[in-house]
Amino acid sequence: MKLNEIVTFYDKLLIIFLILVSVFLLVLPFHFFHSGRNSDLILKVQLGDQIVKTMSINENYDKDIVFSVTGPIGTHFIEVSQGRVRVKEAPEDDPLKICEKTGWISQVGPIIICVPNNLSIWLEKSDSKLDGMSW
Amino acid sequence: MSKTKQTVTIALLISLGLVLHLVENFFPLSAIVPGAKLGLANIVSMLAIVLLNFPAAFQIIIFRVILASLIAGTFMTINFYLSLSGALLSFFLMYLTYRLGRNKFSLIGISIIGAAAHNTAQIITAAFIISNSGIFYYLPFLLLLSLPTGLGVGLVSYFTLKHLPSSFRG
Repeated sequence: MKLNEIVTFYDKLLIIFLILVSVFLLVLPFHFFHSGRNSDLILKVQLGDQIVKTMSINENYDKDIVFSVTGPIGTHFIEVSQGRVRVKEAPEDDPLKICEKTGWISQVGPIIICVPNNLSIWLEKSDSKLDGMSW
Repeated sequence: MSKTKQTVTIALLISLGLVLHLVENFFPLSAIVPGAKLGLANIVSMLAIVLLNFPAAFQIIIFRVILASLIAGTFMTINFYLSLSGALLSFFLMYLTYRLGRNKFSLIGISIIGAAAHNTAQIITAAFIISNSGIFYYLPFLLLLSLPTGLGVGLVSYFTLKHLPSSFRG
């Protein structure tokens, strides 16, 4: 049985359409993130509607930092090390532990999420209007 | 299909879907792209859509999601709503495609539609829950991944239906 006998013309059209949409969505963020040097990144941790932690991660190349964030279902331990960040330990009650499996993120774009715990962790460039230099 | 036979078919498909739903957690696709999975339970949705009418197929989807979440201990938690949103949108789209465009799309196309709809619904739900649209970063990766998984699921349902005794149909 050849695959070609099963797949119809509209199937192929659908596959091409999905690939085009994915590529478009992949290329789109580059206009916003305009990836430049990754030297000055800011870590943001959002719990629910609020940003609970903002810290620069490039200052901490020497020592690893582990801090905890407690959400509705438990406590996450978040590790910052050598310009990267990851969830070191997800709460026991997190059934899929997707945030832990995501691993390290080290650039603008990827985001670590724990949907059950309402938590999201991502990196931002520090080129906001009000940094130390503007003052 | 007689009433008893339909009831038995529904029960069989629910239990089959339940097992597949739990087995698919053994494959850690989430390590590649967060939130990705094989969608093995979709095989049962496809069979239900082809073999049964709308109420029966709908019943199978709902009971599969509820029972799987009861077994995993996530009933009425956020994971349950994520699972439900994906299952419902993919089921409705697959059902509509099968009823309206059966001669245009094969089972493979329908299952790819289901996989893509499942991912999109889950991402949108998750974005609402964590109120952070950064999660859409993963949507293109999930959509690309839904092509091979949808193809696999479509092929499995195609061959299952081909080898199913004719007494199961109609």
